[in-house]
Amino acid sequence: MGTSVQVTPLCGVYNENPLSYLVSIDGFNFLIDCGWNDLFDTSLLEPLSRVASSIDAVLLSHPDTLHLGALPYAMKQLGLSAPVYATEPVHRLGLLTMYDQFLSRKQVSDFDLFTLDDIDSAFQNVIRLTYSQNYHLSGKGEGIVIAPHVAGHMLGGSIWRITKDGEDVIYAVDYNHRKERHLNGTVLQSFVRPAVLITDAYHALYTNQTARQQRDKEFLDTISKHLEVGGNVLLPVDTAGRVLELLLILEQHWSQRGFSFPIYFLTYVSSSTIDYVKSFLEWMSDSISKSFETSRDNAFLLRHVTLLINKTDLDNAPPGPKVVLASMASLEAGFAREIFVEWANDPRNLVLFTETGQFGTLARMLQSAPPPKFVKVTMSKRVPLAGEELIAYEEEQNRLKREEALRASLVKEEETKASHGSDDNSSEPMVIDTKTTHDVVGSHGPAYKDILIDGFVPTSSSVAPMFPFYDNTSEWDDFGEIINPDDYVIKDEDMDRGAMHNGGDVDGRLDEATASLMLDTRPSKVISNELIVTVSCSLVKMDYEGRSDGRSIKSMIAHVSPLKLVLVHAIAEATEHLKQHCLNNISPYVYAPQIEETVDVTSDLCAYKVQLSEKLMSNVIFKKLGDSEVAWVDSEVGKTESDMRSLLPMPGAASPHKPVLVGDLKIADFKQFLSSKGVQVEFAGGGALRCGEYVTLRKVGPTGQKGGASGPQQILIEGPLCEDYYKIRDYLYSQFYLL
Amino acid sequence: MASSSASLKRREQPISRDGDQLIVTPLGAGSEVGRSCVYMSFRGKNILFDCGIHPAYSGMAALPYFDEIDPSSIDVLLITHFHIDHAASLPYFLEKTTFNGRVFMTHATKAIYKLLLTDYVKVSKVSVEDMLFDEQDINKSMDKIEVIDFHQTVEVNGIKFWCYTAGHVLGAAMFMVDIAGVRILYTGDYSREEDRHLRAAELPQFSPDICIIESTSGVQLHQSRHIREKRFTDVIHSTVAQGGRVLIPAFALGRAQELLLILDEYWANHPDLHNIPIYYASPLAKKCMAVYQTYILSMNDRIRNQFANSNPFVFKHISPLNSIDDFNDVGPSVVMATPGGLQSGLSRQLFDSWCSDKKNACIIPGYMVEGTLAKTIINEPKEVTLMNGLTAPLNMQVHYISFSAHADYAQTSTFLKELMPPNIILVHGEANEMMRLKQKLFTEFPDGNTKIMTPKNCESVEMYFNSEKLAKTIGRLAEKTPDVGDAVSGILVKKGFTYQIMAPDELHVFSQLSTATVTQRITIPFVGAFGVIKHRLEKIFESVESSTDEESGLPALKVHERVTVKQESEKHISLQWSSDPISDMVSDSIVALILNISREVPKIVVEEEDAVKSEEENGKKVEKVIYALLVSLFGDVKLGENGILVIRVDGNVAQLDKESGEVESEHSGLKERVRVAFERIQSAVKPIPLSAS
Repeated sequence: MGTSVQVTPLCGVYNENPLSYLVSIDGFNFLIDCGWNDLFDTSLLEPLSRVASSIDAVLLSHPDTLHLGALPYAMKQLGLSAPVYATEPVHRLGLLTMYDQFLSRKQVSDFDLFTLDDIDSAFQNVIRLTYSQNYHLSGKGEGIVIAPHVAGHMLGGSIWRITKDGEDVIYAVDYNHRKERHLNGTVLQSFVRPAVLITDAYHALYTNQTARQQRDKEFLDTISKHLEVGGNVLLPVDTAGRVLELLLILEQHWSQRGFSFPIYFLTYVSSSTIDYVKSFLEWMSDSISKSFETSRDNAFLLRHVTLLINKTDLDNAPPGPKVVLASMASLEAGFAREIFVEWANDPRNLVLFTETGQFGTLARMLQSAPPPKFVKVTMSKRVPLAGEELIAYEEEQNRLKREEALRASLVKEEETKASHGSDDNSSEPMVIDTKTTHDVVGSHGPAYKDILIDGFVPTSSSVAPMFPFYDNTSEWDDFGEIINPDDYVIKDEDMDRGAMHNGGDVDGRLDEATASLMLDTRPSKVISNELIVTVSCSLVKMDYEGRSDGRSIKSMIAHVSPLKLVLVHAIAEATEHLKQHCLNNISPYVYAPQIEETVDVTSDLCAYKVQLSEKLMSNVIFKKLGDSEVAWVDSEVGKTESDMRSLLPMPGAASPHKPVLVGDLKIADFKQFLSSKGVQVEFAGGGALRCGEYVTLRKVGPTGQKGGASGPQQILIEGPLCEDYYKIRDYLYSQFYLL
Repeated sequence: MASSSASLKRREQPISRDGDQLIVTPLGAGSEVGRSCVYMSFRGKNILFDCGIHPAYSGMAALPYFDEIDPSSIDVLLITHFHIDHAASLPYFLEKTTFNGRVFMTHATKAIYKLLLTDYVKVSKVSVEDMLFDEQDINKSMDKIEVIDFHQTVEVNGIKFWCYTAGHVLGAAMFMVDIAGVRILYTGDYSREEDRHLRAAELPQFSPDICIIESTSGVQLHQSRHIREKRFTDVIHSTVAQGGRVLIPAFALGRAQELLLILDEYWANHPDLHNIPIYYASPLAKKCMAVYQTYILSMNDRIRNQFANSNPFVFKHISPLNSIDDFNDVGPSVVMATPGGLQSGLSRQLFDSWCSDKKNACIIPGYMVEGTLAKTIINEPKEVTLMNGLTAPLNMQVHYISFSAHADYAQTSTFLKELMPPNIILVHGEANEMMRLKQKLFTEFPDGNTKIMTPKNCESVEMYFNSEKLAKTIGRLAEKTPDVGDAVSGILVKKGFTYQIMAPDELHVFSQLSTATVTQRITIPFVGAFGVIKHRLEKIFESVESSTDEESGLPALKVHERVTVKQESEKHISLQWSSDPISDMVSDSIVALILNISREVPKIVVEEEDAVKSEEENGKKVEKVIYALLVSLFGDVKLGENGILVIRVDGNVAQLDKESGEVESEHSGLKERVRVAFERIQSAVKPIPLSAS
């Protein structure tokens, strides 16, 4: 039997909820993706919480909330402690996305699901891989090799290949086969016949994808139309994913057309995002790296886009039409929501959605047809406390501090007593000391007390309190004192000082304003008010999601033709549709499990390994076919010294086998081949090929999709007895290898 | 990376004569420094590492010995880093030879390669016929170069390779190549010491079978980096504090960036120096700064962390200088200028004007080529010759502080001890240094299992690897795991260096290949009764079944369950069968038979009564044939007793029992050959069985 593989969805099946799947390979549990939605609905994570502690490794595929949003929370609250694997951009941009989420949330609510520190610590231990890096797991996962490959949806976005014993499990969601400005298309089609493919049916029903040029034209026309009449354009975007493509489109268009309308990119982390993206050229499309190699033009050196990190900068910007790209795409939080509320009632303005909003969010509501005339929006804001509230708050804080101090001093006293319990005499001065200090300095006492006590750590055996004393005995031998050379080595302190000096903040850069916001401990509170917003601005949705459409998905899966297929992440209809399609055309093993339903996709493929003995191989004559070579072997099983099965040549003559014709005949190619040999050929009706005057050749039987479940090819050649017939038959034979 | 702690297991590889031959031939950099180029060949795959030119020669003489190999046979060319002696003959090799394989280098290397070579073409003042390539060739070569990221595994024609950080310069890589399970590590230039911006060379996760390693530093030991840097900054600080000027002649790329980082940081920590300007006077370095500002990911964690605050390659205290005309030499300053050897150009101009003032200082930051002025002044002569031919006293202080990023002896020996490769090939080192290193390494690996080789240019090192060929039997064939003695038959599919055995009808399931059946139908003109055909066929073939065609209701015959003969119409007979050699043969004989009926030639009559006799005759014939064939194969074949054939070859005797096919001989090679030959002869003389098992 092959490697055991089980797939258990934890979130994101039969709907568009965030993605999170448990894939267990021979008992090693992978959590693939760890997503959350923009509403941070904890109920979605319940299945995850039940298995979090048993997870051995986490693989992340894309740097957005839907794919990694729950990571900090799961690490902090759910007991997830496995190493995380991701590509460098997914790690970095994912971190920034989470910062942006947190800061946007913190602005409008008392957000307490996770803190910035939790984000930092969750991302601190990410093991970063490059595309096609075969990473060999060790320990429990010995023998498993993981490798991320280009997905084409977001910068650094990966499809994951997990290999054990030569069997591939491929996880590919949200891939895009089309090359974009900043990304290469996915390499999914380079995998052939994996044991298991886990993929999404998200776009299975979506077919009318317009050509890129036309779409870009419409996109830019719509924007310029609104700008020219004096309107503003808002593009609600994600923090660091698809927005990069939009920025490039706008940037390019602006420099071609010489537009002077300002473009603003507004998120809490916009400038760091672009700074990092500038150093990620290795991960981008060939054309971008090529242009850098030849002219050193970094595509993300944005000349027309102004990066903003707070709303005041936008408010202070010169009035007039402008384009603003702001997070979050869902309009549930962040600058985009504020701006939407401000701009919605002006009919000249445009809100341009570039992706389908998450289910149940404001963006989704606005994308419904027909768009709502009014929306009810709860606007919340964090304001500093003032007046009586502030005083009350301060009093409360002081009271808490005092209590804390008192408790601490009591604890200390207890400890001191305990440690000196055996010897009352010696401890007495200490106790008195504490008390006096306490009395004198009042609430500031504990601090002093700590210092005093710190100086007098009594060892358990000590008679009286004393400063720590270390017996400095040195060892001597015949040649004098023994010297430890390490004591005399000059440490690399000097260089590290610089690093500490500059780079103490290991966890990524925050913009100054953001930092101030983060460090801002001024007492504040959140006030909310409900408004009815009249939506009179134009609402347009265009597809810049960067995912393959239904038809491409089908042909891609057909090309990959996995032995078993698991479908996830799509509404029920799409899942069902794709499932039926695949059952009919690709594989009889298609699964679409429910949440927490475990499907066993262990391949029933039998396999064993044998050694090919030199004796056997010296008699085998290979025939080359494409990039592989084939031969027929007749052999007898033997054993090697290391008790491994080995194949030896048959001792007598091998019994004859049924001959096999190997090869893949393409009628069109064959036609060319024949005409190059001077045979007159033409296509007759019904896919038949008429060769010479009388002979016809055709493929019969079901012409299944390539590599699909179709059997061997059936070719029919017929004609009257004549020389031509035998000539053409010989040509036909030459296209095959007879084994 | 977390994997560095993974245990390294030494691969047990008995090196014996039988096995596949692996050849390593340095085409350049064999017992010399410069024009790195190492050719490797194993199991029909050919790889070239690096493609440099020798900086001391010009024209064709500077090229590696490409004549030794057939460029069109090279599958993959791997470039470790952008230095001239590792990459500069690439445009020539790509554009002027028959090479049509694939070329790989890292992103940063590719970006700098173009700038560096373009500059190289401009500054090398050689005659037109000596020009190996021009700017156009460089631009064309850019399209052919593919990029590879660190650790990314790429497979070309079954050759798997990936690269590790080498630490030498930005983008420098060590390549690990895996051909059929035999691993070869080519280090290129590497350094195991982490510096200000580069990571130290990684320790590969797997131990290679062969390690091709540089030996530039020989048995030298480097001064600790910390001390070097302190000397460097101290000299500069004291010189500028006394109002002197500091000249640092340096090569534009590589170490220069490291020195600039040191200076910028030192200035940042010493506010009293802020009014003293630092310049780097190299248009090339200025151009490459964008590359350094971008490929932060190829650098060490220190830089990456600094990057979190601001790009460390955006210098705060250092400014570029385009030419000496823009330089306002009014007071103390620090200038880093090219060329590094003080041959000409800006560094020489500054040297000429500063050398006679004893307040000034010149720091030589690395290895200098013999014959350059920089090398001369290290010995602190009293006078120097200026560019205008006059002599001037050399009063300025000259300091030699090596920032070379080549592994020193300590690094090399620990690196090799960790890896424990069974074969070590030293390249890229001066011959004497290399021999010293070899001697010293021998003392480090006293067990005698480690071979250390120092081939000269074009001298091949041959090794033999008995690579085990493992196949995986899958699908229906593997439903039952066979025991010793069971037969396994199926299609063996080889892709790259992996083998799979499968049943023919599952070929399309497990591979991209597919099988086909070809059905043939021919019509033959025939006028006459169908019964005649039937009668004749029955005379000749053992099995002829009559039936009627379901669709047309016409009579049909099936011969040997292979060929269907049908009466299509009054005038035609059709034959239908699915192709394979035996069926084709049967159908041919049927065709001949049908044609003969219409021609009424003498009948074919089976002489049944002679059946027994003819069998005997047949047996005799077979024996004759066997004998004749054996004679033609082995020469001296004599008929012995009891039907035993005695075969003598070169004094060795083999006895062959014709009945059982058993062979007895003291010489195992002969025994095996006779056995195989006899088997084949037997299968050839046997009648073809009509029924496929």
